[in-house]
Amino acid sequence: MDTVLKINGLSKRYGKIMALDRLDLEVKRGNVFGILGPNGSGKTTTLGILLEVINQTEGSFEWFGAPSNQNTRKRIGAILEHPIFYPYLTGVQNLKIVCDIKEVPYSRVEECLTQVGLQERKDSKFKTFSLGMKQRLSIASALLCDPEVMILDEPTNGLDPQGIAEIRDLIIDIANSGKTIIIASHLLDEVQKVCTHFCVLRRGKLIHTGLVEDVGKGDIIVEVKADSEKLQDTLTASNMSKDIKRELDKYTLTMNEGFSATDINKYLFDQGITAKHLVVKTKSLEKQFLEILAEQGGGQS
Amino acid sequence: MMRLLRIEIQKLWPNRAFRLLSILYMVAMVIIAVGVMPFLKYLKSRIEDFDVDGVDPTIIPFYEFPDIWQNLTAVAIWFKLLLGFSLIYSITNEFSYRTIRQNVIDGMSKAEFVWSKVILAGFLSLASTLTLFVLGLITGLIYSTEISMSLVFEDVHFLLAFFLQLYAFLLFTLFVGTLIKKAIIAMGVLVFWILAVENGFYVWGQVKNQQWIEYFLPVKSINALVHNPFPKYLLMEVQDFLTFPEFALVLGWGALFFWATTKLVVNRDL
Repeated sequence: MDTVLKINGLSKRYGKIMALDRLDLEVKRGNVFGILGPNGSGKTTTLGILLEVINQTEGSFEWFGAPSNQNTRKRIGAILEHPIFYPYLTGVQNLKIVCDIKEVPYSRVEECLTQVGLQERKDSKFKTFSLGMKQRLSIASALLCDPEVMILDEPTNGLDPQGIAEIRDLIIDIANSGKTIIIASHLLDEVQKVCTHFCVLRRGKLIHTGLVEDVGKGDIIVEVKADSEKLQDTLTASNMSKDIKRELDKYTLTMNEGFSATDINKYLFDQGITAKHLVVKTKSLEKQFLEILAEQGGGQS
Repeated sequence: MMRLLRIEIQKLWPNRAFRLLSILYMVAMVIIAVGVMPFLKYLKSRIEDFDVDGVDPTIIPFYEFPDIWQNLTAVAIWFKLLLGFSLIYSITNEFSYRTIRQNVIDGMSKAEFVWSKVILAGFLSLASTLTLFVLGLITGLIYSTEISMSLVFEDVHFLLAFFLQLYAFLLFTLFVGTLIKKAIIAMGVLVFWILAVENGFYVWGQVKNQQWIEYFLPVKSINALVHNPFPKYLLMEVQDFLTFPEFALVLGWGALFFWATTKLVVNRDL
Protein backbone atom coordinates (compact mmCIF):
# COMPACT_ATOMS: atom_id res chain seq x y z
CA MET A 1 0.00 0.00 0.00
CA ASP A 2 1.42 3.37 -0.86
CA THR A 3 1.73 6.16 1.61
CA VAL A 4 -0.50 9.18 1.19
CA LEU A 5 0.78 11.22 4.08
CA LYS A 6 3.97 11.03 6.07
CA ILE A 7 4.70 13.34 8.99
CA ASN A 8 8.18 13.65 10.46
CA GLY A 9 8.78 15.30 13.83
CA LEU A 10 6.24 18.05 13.34
CA SER A 11 6.18 20.71 16.09
CA LYS A 12 4.32 23.94 16.62
CA ARG A 13 5.07 26.35 19.43
CA TYR A 14 2.84 29.26 20.45
CA GLY A 15 5.04 31.21 22.79
CA LYS A 16 5.58 28.91 25.78
CA ILE A 17 2.94 26.42 24.76
CA MET A 18 3.88 23.40 22.65
CA ALA A 19 0.69 22.95 20.64
CA LEU A 20 2.29 20.06 18.80
CA ASP A 21 5.31 18.13 19.99
CA ARG A 22 7.38 16.13 17.47
CA LEU A 23 4.52 14.31 15.81
CA ASP A 24 5.26 11.31 13.56
CA LEU A 25 2.46 9.74 11.62
CA GLU A 26 1.79 7.81 8.45
CA VAL A 27 -1.46 7.40 6.54
CA LYS A 28 -1.79 4.81 3.77
CA ARG A 29 -4.02 4.96 0.74
CA GLY A 30 -7.57 3.83 1.47
CA ASN A 31 -7.32 4.34 5.22
CA VAL A 32 -10.07 6.08 7.07
CA PHE A 33 -7.91 7.61 9.73
CA GLY A 34 -9.33 9.12 12.90
CA ILE A 35 -7.35 11.61 14.93
CA LEU A 36 -8.70 11.59 18.48
CA GLY A 37 -7.96 13.86 21.34
CA PRO A 38 -9.55 16.13 23.90
CA ASN A 39 -10.21 19.75 22.96
CA GLY A 40 -6.96 21.63 22.60
CA SER A 41 -4.83 18.52 22.05
CA GLY A 42 -3.48 19.73 18.72
CA LYS A 43 -5.81 18.09 16.19
CA THR A 44 -6.73 21.25 14.31
CA THR A 45 -3.19 22.60 14.58
CA THR A 46 -1.91 19.42 12.91
CA LEU A 47 -4.43 19.64 10.09
CA GLY A 48 -3.76 23.39 9.73
CA ILE A 49 -0.06 22.71 9.23
CA LEU A 50 -0.75 19.88 6.78
CA LEU A 51 -2.85 22.33 4.74
CA GLU A 52 -0.29 25.11 5.08
CA VAL A 53 -2.46 27.69 6.75
CA ILE A 54 -0.32 27.39 9.88
CA ASN A 55 3.46 27.55 9.70
CA GLN A 56 5.17 24.77 11.65
CA THR A 57 7.99 25.57 14.06
CA GLU A 58 9.89 22.40 13.19
CA GLY A 59 9.56 19.19 11.26
CA SER A 60 8.27 18.28 7.84
CA PHE A 61 5.55 16.35 6.07
CA GLU A 62 5.00 14.82 2.67
CA TRP A 63 1.82 14.39 0.67
CA PHE A 64 1.85 11.63 -1.95
CA GLY A 65 5.57 11.10 -1.35
CA ALA A 66 6.67 14.64 -2.18
CA PRO A 67 6.98 17.92 -0.31
CA SER A 68 3.72 19.82 -0.50
CA ASN A 69 2.82 22.88 -2.57
CA GLN A 70 -0.46 24.51 -3.52
CA ASN A 71 -1.01 22.04 -6.36
CA THR A 72 -0.99 19.19 -3.83
CA ARG A 73 -3.86 20.88 -2.04
CA LYS A 74 -5.86 20.92 -5.25
CA ARG A 75 -5.98 17.12 -4.96
CA ILE A 76 -7.20 17.29 -1.36
CA GLY A 77 -10.70 18.13 -0.20
CA ALA A 78 -10.60 19.67 3.23
CA ILE A 79 -12.86 21.26 5.80
CA LEU A 80 -11.31 22.72 8.91
CA GLU A 81 -13.54 23.58 11.87
CA HIS A 82 -16.85 25.17 10.86
CA PRO A 83 -17.82 25.71 7.21
CA ILE A 84 -16.27 28.88 5.77
CA PHE A 85 -17.86 30.57 2.76
CA TYR A 86 -18.70 34.06 1.54
CA PRO A 87 -21.99 34.73 3.38
CA TYR A 88 -23.36 37.11 0.74
CA LEU A 89 -22.86 34.63 -2.11
CA THR A 90 -25.18 31.76 -3.00
CA GLY A 91 -24.20 28.12 -2.69
CA VAL A 92 -23.47 27.87 -6.39
CA GLN A 93 -21.47 31.12 -6.50
CA ASN A 94 -19.37 29.94 -3.57
CA LEU A 95 -18.65 26.59 -5.18
CA LYS A 96 -17.69 28.23 -8.47
CA ILE A 97 -14.99 30.18 -6.68
CA VAL A 98 -13.66 26.93 -5.23
CA CYS A 99 -13.76 25.44 -8.76
CA ASP A 100 -11.60 28.31 -10.01
CA ILE A 101 -9.17 27.89 -7.14
CA LYS A 102 -8.91 24.16 -7.66
CA GLU A 103 -8.98 24.49 -11.44
CA VAL A 104 -11.85 22.08 -12.02
CA PRO A 105 -14.73 22.70 -14.47
CA TYR A 106 -17.96 24.35 -13.22
CA SER A 107 -19.90 21.25 -14.27
CA ARG A 108 -18.75 19.61 -11.03
CA VAL A 109 -20.82 22.09 -9.00
CA GLU A 110 -24.17 20.53 -9.90
CA GLU A 111 -22.89 16.97 -9.44
CA CYS A 112 -21.56 17.66 -5.97
CA LEU A 113 -24.64 19.61 -4.88
CA THR A 114 -26.77 16.65 -5.94
CA GLN A 115 -24.49 14.25 -4.10
CA VAL A 116 -24.96 16.08 -0.78
CA GLY A 117 -28.65 16.76 -1.44
CA LEU A 118 -28.49 20.53 -1.59
CA GLN A 119 -30.10 21.04 -5.01
CA GLU A 120 -33.16 22.87 -3.76
CA ARG A 121 -31.32 25.59 -1.91
CA LYS A 122 -28.35 26.02 -4.22
CA ASP A 123 -29.36 29.56 -5.22
CA SER A 124 -29.96 30.80 -1.67
CA LYS A 125 -27.34 32.91 0.01
CA PHE A 126 -24.97 31.04 2.27
CA LYS A 127 -25.94 33.14 5.29
CA THR A 128 -29.53 31.86 5.09
CA PHE A 129 -28.41 28.21 5.37
CA SER A 130 -29.00 26.11 8.48
CA LEU A 131 -25.95 24.59 10.14
CA GLY A 132 -26.65 21.21 8.56
CA MET A 133 -26.87 22.77 5.11
CA LYS A 134 -23.66 24.71 5.66
CA GLN A 135 -21.94 21.49 6.67
CA ARG A 136 -23.27 19.75 3.57
CA LEU A 137 -22.14 22.62 1.35
CA SER A 138 -18.64 22.33 2.74
CA ILE A 139 -18.61 18.61 2.03
CA ALA A 140 -19.79 19.37 -1.51
CA SER A 141 -16.96 21.87 -1.80
CA ALA A 142 -14.46 19.27 -0.59
CA LEU A 143 -15.78 16.82 -3.17
CA LEU A 144 -15.46 19.25 -6.12
CA CYS A 145 -12.00 18.16 -7.18
CA ASP A 146 -12.85 14.46 -6.81
CA PRO A 147 -10.16 14.39 -4.11
CA GLU A 148 -7.74 11.57 -3.45
CA VAL A 149 -7.77 12.53 0.21
CA MET A 150 -10.48 14.12 2.29
CA ILE A 151 -9.72 15.92 5.52
CA LEU A 152 -12.63 16.51 7.87
CA ASP A 153 -12.35 18.34 11.15
CA GLU A 154 -15.25 17.67 13.51
CA PRO A 155 -17.62 17.08 10.58
CA THR A 156 -20.70 16.54 12.74
CA ASN A 157 -20.06 19.30 15.24
CA GLY A 158 -23.26 21.08 16.25
CA LEU A 159 -25.58 18.99 14.10
CA ASP A 160 -28.82 17.42 15.29
CA PRO A 161 -29.01 13.59 15.47
CA GLN A 162 -30.57 13.34 12.03
CA GLY A 163 -27.89 15.61 10.56
CA ILE A 164 -25.17 13.57 12.25
CA ALA A 165 -26.58 10.35 10.78
CA GLU A 166 -26.77 11.92 7.30
CA ILE A 167 -23.22 13.21 7.39
CA ARG A 168 -22.01 9.87 8.72
CA ASP A 169 -23.70 8.00 5.87
CA LEU A 170 -22.13 10.44 3.44
CA ILE A 171 -18.67 9.83 4.91
CA ILE A 172 -19.14 6.06 4.76
CA ASP A 173 -20.25 6.39 1.11
CA ILE A 174 -17.15 8.39 0.32
CA ALA A 175 -14.93 5.93 2.18
CA ASN A 176 -16.49 3.02 0.29
CA SER A 177 -15.54 4.68 -2.99
CA GLY A 178 -11.92 4.06 -2.00
CA LYS A 179 -10.90 7.54 -0.96
CA THR A 180 -8.49 8.14 1.89
CA ILE A 181 -10.16 10.08 4.68
CA ILE A 182 -8.61 11.78 7.68
CA ILE A 183 -11.08 12.75 10.40
CA ALA A 184 -10.28 14.73 13.51
CA SER A 185 -12.85 14.36 16.21
CA HIS A 186 -13.50 14.20 19.89
CA LEU A 187 -16.63 12.17 19.24
CA LEU A 188 -15.34 8.65 19.78
CA ASP A 189 -18.51 6.95 18.74
CA GLU A 190 -18.24 8.67 15.38
CA VAL A 191 -14.65 7.55 14.83
CA GLN A 192 -15.48 3.99 15.85
CA LYS A 193 -18.34 3.87 13.37
CA VAL A 194 -16.48 5.13 10.30
CA CYS A 195 -12.71 4.74 10.81
CA THR A 196 -10.30 1.90 10.11
CA HIS A 197 -7.30 3.40 11.92
CA PHE A 198 -7.01 5.86 14.75
CA CYS A 199 -4.46 7.74 16.78
CA VAL A 200 -4.74 9.64 20.03
CA LEU A 201 -3.21 13.04 20.68
CA ARG A 202 -2.84 14.61 24.08
CA ARG A 203 -1.32 18.03 24.72
CA GLY A 204 0.32 17.93 21.33
CA LYS A 205 1.89 14.51 21.82
CA LEU A 206 1.03 11.32 19.98
CA ILE A 207 0.22 8.76 22.66
CA HIS A 208 -1.35 5.92 20.70
CA THR A 209 -1.94 4.68 17.19
CA GLY A 210 -3.68 1.49 16.12
CA LEU A 211 -6.48 -0.23 14.29
CA VAL A 212 -10.08 0.43 15.26
CA GLU A 213 -10.92 -3.28 14.88
CA ASP A 214 -8.37 -4.11 17.59
CA VAL A 215 -10.22 -1.97 20.09
CA GLY A 216 -12.77 -4.59 21.11
CA LYS A 217 -10.08 -7.16 21.96
CA GLY A 218 -9.08 -7.85 25.55
CA ASP A 219 -11.13 -8.53 28.66
CA ILE A 220 -14.74 -9.67 28.41
CA ILE A 221 -17.22 -7.35 30.11
CA VAL A 222 -20.55 -8.67 31.33
CA GLU A 223 -23.49 -6.68 32.68
CA VAL A 224 -25.80 -8.43 35.14
CA LYS A 225 -29.12 -7.46 36.71
CA ALA A 226 -31.24 -9.62 39.01
CA ASP A 227 -33.94 -9.19 41.65
CA SER A 228 -31.93 -10.54 44.52
CA GLU A 229 -30.54 -8.98 47.68
CA LYS A 230 -27.48 -11.16 47.73
CA LEU A 231 -26.52 -10.64 44.08
CA GLN A 232 -23.38 -8.66 44.88
CA ASP A 233 -22.17 -11.17 47.48
CA THR A 234 -22.84 -14.05 45.11
CA LEU A 235 -20.98 -12.37 42.27
CA THR A 236 -18.01 -11.65 44.51
CA ALA A 237 -18.02 -15.19 45.85
CA SER A 238 -17.96 -16.64 42.34
CA ASN A 239 -14.35 -15.46 41.84
CA MET A 240 -14.93 -15.34 38.12
CA SER A 241 -14.29 -11.63 37.72
CA LYS A 242 -11.41 -9.41 38.67
CA ASP A 243 -13.56 -6.29 38.96
CA ILE A 244 -17.16 -5.62 39.90
CA LYS A 245 -18.72 -2.20 39.45
CA ARG A 246 -22.22 -1.24 40.57
CA GLU A 247 -24.42 1.27 38.77
CA LEU A 248 -27.81 1.39 40.53
CA ASP A 249 -29.10 -2.17 40.18
CA LYS A 250 -26.71 -3.10 37.40
CA TYR A 251 -23.39 -4.85 38.02
CA THR A 252 -20.60 -4.66 35.48
CA LEU A 253 -18.06 -7.47 35.67
CA THR A 254 -14.66 -7.59 34.07
CA MET A 255 -14.23 -11.33 33.65
CA ASN A 256 -11.15 -13.32 34.61
CA GLU A 257 -9.52 -15.23 31.82
CA GLY A 258 -11.30 -18.48 30.97
CA PHE A 259 -14.69 -17.36 32.18
CA SER A 260 -17.55 -16.20 30.02
CA ALA A 261 -21.12 -14.99 30.38
CA THR A 262 -22.32 -18.62 30.24
CA ASP A 263 -20.30 -19.47 33.34
CA ILE A 264 -21.64 -16.58 35.37
CA ASN A 265 -25.21 -17.35 34.29
CA LYS A 266 -24.90 -20.97 35.30
CA TYR A 267 -23.28 -20.09 38.61
CA LEU A 268 -26.03 -17.62 39.50
CA PHE A 269 -28.72 -20.13 38.56
CA ASP A 270 -27.07 -22.77 40.75
CA GLN A 271 -27.11 -20.29 43.63
CA GLY A 272 -30.85 -19.76 43.10
CA ILE A 273 -30.67 -16.39 41.39
CA THR A 274 -32.23 -15.79 37.98
CA ALA A 275 -30.62 -13.04 36.00
CA LYS A 276 -33.13 -10.73 34.31
CA HIS A 277 -30.45 -8.94 32.30
CA LEU A 278 -27.22 -10.44 31.04
CA VAL A 279 -25.25 -8.66 28.33
CA VAL A 280 -21.76 -9.18 26.96
CA LYS A 281 -20.24 -5.81 26.14
CA THR A 282 -17.48 -5.28 23.67
CA LYS A 283 -15.15 -2.59 24.81
CA SER A 284 -15.95 0.69 23.13
CA LEU A 285 -13.42 3.07 21.71
CA GLU A 286 -14.56 5.49 24.35
CA LYS A 287 -13.45 3.15 27.11
CA GLN A 288 -10.16 2.45 25.38
CA PHE A 289 -9.61 6.15 24.78
CA LEU A 290 -10.20 7.01 28.41
CA GLU A 291 -7.89 4.17 29.46
CA ILE A 292 -5.13 5.42 27.15
CA LEU A 293 -5.51 8.95 28.47
CA ALA A 294 -5.51 7.71 32.07
CA GLU A 295 -2.41 5.55 31.55
CA GLN A 296 -0.51 8.40 29.95
CA GLY A 297 -1.76 10.93 32.44
CA GLY A 298 -0.62 8.71 35.30
CA GLY A 299 2.76 8.18 33.72
CA GLN A 300 3.34 11.85 33.03
CA SER A 301 2.17 13.91 35.95
CA MET B 1 -3.55 35.74 -13.92
CA MET B 2 -6.96 35.74 -15.60
CA ARG B 3 -7.94 32.92 -13.26
CA LEU B 4 -7.06 35.00 -10.19
CA LEU B 5 -8.86 38.04 -11.57
CA ARG B 6 -11.93 35.93 -12.32
CA ILE B 7 -11.89 34.64 -8.75
CA GLU B 8 -11.73 38.19 -7.39
CA ILE B 9 -14.53 39.46 -9.61
CA GLN B 10 -16.73 36.52 -8.60
CA LYS B 11 -16.05 37.27 -4.95
CA LEU B 12 -16.72 40.98 -5.20
CA TRP B 13 -19.27 41.83 -7.81
CA PRO B 14 -22.29 40.31 -6.02
CA ASN B 15 -21.28 42.26 -2.91
CA ARG B 16 -23.54 45.26 -2.42
CA ALA B 17 -21.09 47.38 -0.41
CA PHE B 18 -18.34 46.90 -2.95
CA ARG B 19 -20.65 47.68 -5.84
CA LEU B 20 -21.93 50.80 -4.11
CA LEU B 21 -18.41 52.12 -3.47
CA SER B 22 -17.31 51.41 -7.05
CA ILE B 23 -20.39 53.08 -8.50
CA LEU B 24 -19.94 56.08 -6.22
CA TYR B 25 -16.37 56.35 -7.43
CA MET B 26 -17.38 56.18 -11.09
CA VAL B 27 -20.11 58.76 -10.55
CA ALA B 28 -17.62 61.03 -8.81
CA MET B 29 -15.26 60.73 -11.77
CA VAL B 30 -17.99 61.55 -14.25
CA ILE B 31 -19.16 64.52 -12.20
CA ILE B 32 -15.72 66.07 -11.92
CA ALA B 33 -14.91 65.42 -15.53
CA VAL B 34 -18.15 66.73 -16.94
CA GLY B 35 -19.08 69.13 -14.18
CA VAL B 36 -16.33 71.71 -14.43
CA MET B 37 -17.82 73.60 -17.36
CA PRO B 38 -21.33 73.92 -15.88
CA PHE B 39 -19.66 75.03 -12.65
CA LEU B 40 -17.68 77.71 -14.46
CA LYS B 41 -20.82 78.81 -16.25
CA TYR B 42 -22.62 79.02 -12.94
CA LEU B 43 -19.77 81.13 -11.57
CA LYS B 44 -20.05 83.37 -14.61
CA SER B 45 -23.77 83.87 -14.10
CA ARG B 46 -23.23 84.77 -10.46
CA ILE B 47 -20.49 87.21 -11.38
CA GLU B 48 -22.75 88.81 -13.98
CA ASP B 49 -25.35 89.24 -11.25
CA PHE B 50 -22.84 91.36 -9.39
CA ASP B 51 -22.19 93.29 -12.57
CA VAL B 52 -18.44 92.88 -12.51
CA ASP B 53 -17.14 93.40 -15.99
CA GLY B 54 -14.25 91.70 -17.68
CA VAL B 55 -14.18 88.51 -15.57
CA ASP B 56 -15.31 85.41 -17.41
CA PRO B 57 -14.44 82.11 -15.69
CA THR B 58 -15.59 80.11 -18.71
CA ILE B 59 -12.52 81.19 -20.60
CA ILE B 60 -10.39 79.13 -18.19
CA PRO B 61 -9.24 76.45 -20.62
CA PHE B 62 -9.74 73.49 -18.29
CA TYR B 63 -10.71 71.19 -21.16
CA GLU B 64 -8.15 72.41 -23.66
CA PHE B 65 -5.99 69.68 -25.23
CA PRO B 66 -3.35 68.79 -24.13
CA ASP B 67 -3.73 70.54 -20.73
CA ILE B 68 -6.88 68.56 -20.04
CA TRP B 69 -4.89 65.46 -19.11
CA GLN B 70 -2.97 67.07 -16.30
CA ASN B 71 -6.08 68.97 -15.16
CA LEU B 72 -8.27 65.87 -15.07
CA THR B 73 -5.74 63.57 -13.43
CA ALA B 74 -4.86 66.17 -10.81
CA VAL B 75 -8.53 66.44 -9.82
CA ALA B 76 -9.54 62.79 -10.25
CA ILE B 77 -6.79 61.51 -7.95
CA TRP B 78 -8.55 63.14 -4.99
CA PHE B 79 -11.23 60.50 -5.19
CA LYS B 80 -8.81 57.62 -4.81
CA LEU B 81 -9.88 57.16 -1.20
CA LEU B 82 -13.27 55.80 -2.33
CA LEU B 83 -11.53 53.14 -4.36
CA GLY B 84 -9.12 52.53 -1.50
CA PHE B 85 -12.06 51.88 0.82
CA SER B 86 -13.53 49.31 -1.52
CA LEU B 87 -10.20 47.48 -1.64
CA ILE B 88 -9.82 47.59 2.15
CA TYR B 89 -13.33 46.23 2.36
CA SER B 90 -12.38 43.39 0.05
CA ILE B 91 -9.24 42.37 1.92
CA THR B 92 -10.55 42.77 5.48
CA ASN B 93 -13.64 40.71 4.60
CA GLU B 94 -11.34 37.83 3.75
CA PHE B 95 -9.92 38.01 7.24
CA SER B 96 -13.17 38.51 9.13
CA TYR B 97 -14.99 35.75 7.23
CA ARG B 98 -11.75 33.70 7.41
CA THR B 99 -12.21 32.94 3.74
CA ILE B 100 -8.49 33.59 3.16
CA ARG B 101 -7.89 30.48 5.24
CA GLN B 102 -10.35 28.46 3.18
CA ASN B 103 -8.84 29.80 -0.08
CA VAL B 104 -5.43 28.54 1.00
CA ILE B 105 -6.87 25.21 2.14
CA ASP B 106 -8.59 24.86 -1.23
CA GLY B 107 -5.33 25.25 -3.09
CA MET B 108 -4.11 28.84 -3.33
CA SER B 109 -0.68 29.58 -1.99
CA LYS B 110 -0.50 32.52 0.41
CA ALA B 111 1.61 34.45 -2.09
CA GLU B 112 -0.92 33.68 -4.79
CA PHE B 113 -3.67 35.06 -2.57
CA VAL B 114 -1.83 38.38 -2.19
CA TRP B 115 -1.14 38.31 -5.90
CA SER B 116 -4.87 38.00 -6.62
CA LYS B 117 -5.53 41.15 -4.59
CA VAL B 118 -2.68 42.94 -6.33
CA ILE B 119 -4.16 41.99 -9.67
CA LEU B 120 -7.53 43.29 -8.46
CA ALA B 121 -5.90 46.60 -7.50
CA GLY B 122 -4.30 46.77 -10.95
CA PHE B 123 -7.62 46.03 -12.59
CA LEU B 124 -9.40 48.77 -10.62
CA SER B 125 -6.63 51.26 -11.45
CA LEU B 126 -6.75 50.34 -15.12
CA ALA B 127 -10.54 50.62 -15.24
CA SER B 128 -10.45 54.09 -13.66
CA THR B 129 -7.69 55.23 -15.98
CA LEU B 130 -9.61 54.05 -19.02
CA THR B 131 -12.78 55.73 -17.76
CA LEU B 132 -10.86 58.95 -17.26
CA PHE B 133 -9.38 58.63 -20.74
CA VAL B 134 -12.81 58.25 -22.32
CA LEU B 135 -14.26 61.11 -20.27
CA GLY B 136 -11.30 63.30 -21.18
CA LEU B 137 -11.71 62.52 -24.87
CA ILE B 138 -15.42 63.32 -24.83
CA THR B 139 -15.24 66.55 -22.85
CA GLY B 140 -12.10 67.62 -24.66
CA LEU B 141 -13.69 67.11 -28.06
CA ILE B 142 -16.70 69.12 -26.93
CA TYR B 143 -14.96 72.07 -25.32
CA SER B 144 -11.49 72.23 -26.82
CA THR B 145 -11.00 75.06 -29.26
CA GLU B 146 -8.29 73.38 -31.25
CA ILE B 147 -8.32 69.69 -32.06
CA SER B 148 -5.69 67.68 -33.81
CA MET B 149 -4.28 64.20 -33.34
CA SER B 150 -0.98 65.44 -31.96
CA LEU B 151 -2.59 67.88 -29.53
CA VAL B 152 -5.04 65.31 -28.22
CA PHE B 153 -2.36 62.78 -27.39
CA GLU B 154 0.47 65.14 -26.52
CA ASP B 155 0.29 64.92 -22.73
CA VAL B 156 -1.55 61.64 -22.52
CA HIS B 157 1.27 60.20 -20.43
CA PHE B 158 -0.37 61.93 -17.46
CA LEU B 159 -2.84 59.07 -17.61
CA LEU B 160 0.02 56.64 -17.11
CA ALA B 161 1.06 58.67 -14.07
CA PHE B 162 -2.53 58.59 -12.85
CA PHE B 163 -2.60 54.83 -13.23
CA LEU B 164 0.62 54.49 -11.29
CA GLN B 165 -0.56 56.86 -8.56
CA LEU B 166 -3.77 54.94 -8.12
CA TYR B 167 -2.04 51.56 -8.19
CA ALA B 168 0.58 52.56 -5.64
CA PHE B 169 -2.10 54.03 -3.40
CA LEU B 170 -4.22 50.88 -3.66
CA LEU B 171 -1.20 48.75 -2.75
CA PHE B 172 -0.80 50.99 0.30
CA THR B 173 -4.44 50.43 1.31
CA LEU B 174 -3.97 46.71 0.70
CA PHE B 175 -1.07 46.75 3.14
CA VAL B 176 -3.06 48.70 5.74
CA GLY B 177 -6.02 46.33 5.36
CA THR B 178 -3.80 43.26 5.71
CA LEU B 179 -2.01 44.69 8.72
CA ILE B 180 -5.15 45.69 10.61
CA LYS B 181 -7.67 43.10 9.38
CA LYS B 182 -10.74 45.02 10.66
CA ALA B 183 -12.53 47.08 8.00
CA ILE B 184 -13.66 50.04 10.09
CA ILE B 185 -10.41 50.36 12.01
CA ALA B 186 -8.35 50.04 8.83
CA MET B 187 -10.38 52.75 7.10
CA GLY B 188 -10.04 54.98 10.18
CA VAL B 189 -6.30 54.42 10.35
CA LEU B 190 -6.00 55.15 6.64
CA VAL B 191 -7.82 58.48 6.94
CA PHE B 192 -5.94 59.35 10.11
CA TRP B 193 -2.63 58.54 8.45
CA ILE B 194 -3.36 60.66 5.39
CA LEU B 195 -4.87 63.64 7.20
CA ALA B 196 -3.01 63.77 10.49
CA VAL B 197 0.25 61.83 10.30
CA GLU B 198 1.40 62.75 6.80
CA ASN B 199 0.21 66.34 6.98
CA GLY B 200 1.76 66.67 10.42
CA PHE B 201 5.16 65.51 9.19
CA TYR B 202 4.77 67.55 6.03
CA VAL B 203 4.10 70.79 7.91
CA TRP B 204 6.91 70.00 10.33
CA GLY B 205 9.21 69.46 7.34
CA GLN B 206 8.17 72.81 5.84
CA VAL B 207 8.62 74.69 9.12
CA LYS B 208 11.99 73.15 9.93
CA ASN B 209 13.02 73.41 6.31
CA GLN B 210 13.50 69.62 6.10
CA GLN B 211 11.82 69.00 2.74
CA TRP B 212 13.34 65.52 2.44
CA ILE B 213 10.74 64.23 4.89
CA GLU B 214 8.21 64.34 2.07
CA TYR B 215 9.88 61.42 0.33
CA PHE B 216 9.23 59.23 3.36
CA LEU B 217 5.51 59.93 3.31
CA PRO B 218 3.97 57.45 0.86
CA VAL B 219 0.71 59.24 0.13
CA LYS B 220 2.42 62.64 -0.21
CA SER B 221 4.94 61.10 -2.60
CA ILE B 222 2.14 59.55 -4.61
CA ASN B 223 0.16 62.81 -4.75
CA ALA B 224 3.26 64.77 -5.75
CA LEU B 225 3.72 62.85 -8.99
CA VAL B 226 1.23 65.01 -10.88
CA HIS B 227 1.75 68.63 -9.87
CA ASN B 228 -1.23 70.88 -9.29
CA PRO B 229 -1.73 72.65 -12.65
CA PHE B 230 -4.27 75.25 -11.61
CA PRO B 231 -1.98 78.05 -10.36
CA LYS B 232 -0.98 78.50 -13.99
CA TYR B 233 -4.38 79.99 -14.72
CA LEU B 234 -3.36 82.70 -12.26
CA LEU B 235 -0.25 83.08 -14.38
CA MET B 236 2.01 81.28 -11.91
CA GLU B 237 4.67 78.86 -13.01
CA VAL B 238 3.86 75.15 -12.52
CA GLN B 239 5.61 71.95 -13.38
CA ASP B 240 3.61 70.65 -16.32
CA PHE B 241 5.66 67.52 -16.92
CA LEU B 242 6.60 64.34 -15.06
CA THR B 243 10.06 63.79 -13.66
CA PHE B 244 11.76 60.45 -13.51
CA PRO B 245 12.80 60.58 -9.79
CA GLU B 246 9.22 61.31 -8.76
CA PHE B 247 8.00 58.51 -10.99
CA ALA B 248 10.57 56.08 -9.59
CA LEU B 249 9.67 57.06 -6.03
CA VAL B 250 6.00 56.14 -6.55
CA LEU B 251 7.05 52.91 -8.23
CA GLY B 252 9.29 52.19 -5.24
CA TRP B 253 6.48 52.75 -2.74
CA GLY B 254 4.20 50.43 -4.71
CA ALA B 255 6.82 47.70 -4.80
CA LEU B 256 7.53 48.13 -1.08
CA PHE B 257 3.88 47.71 -0.10
CA PHE B 258 3.50 44.70 -2.38
CA TRP B 259 6.52 43.09 -0.76
CA ALA B 260 5.42 43.97 2.78
CA THR B 261 1.88 42.64 2.23
CA THR B 262 3.21 39.34 0.89
CA LYS B 263 5.59 39.07 3.83
CA LEU B 264 2.76 39.71 6.30
CA VAL B 265 0.47 37.08 4.84
CA VAL B 266 3.10 34.39 4.28
CA ASN B 267 4.44 34.61 7.83
CA ARG B 268 1.04 34.75 9.46
CA ASP B 269 -0.90 31.75 10.79
CA LEU B 270 -4.30 32.03 9.19
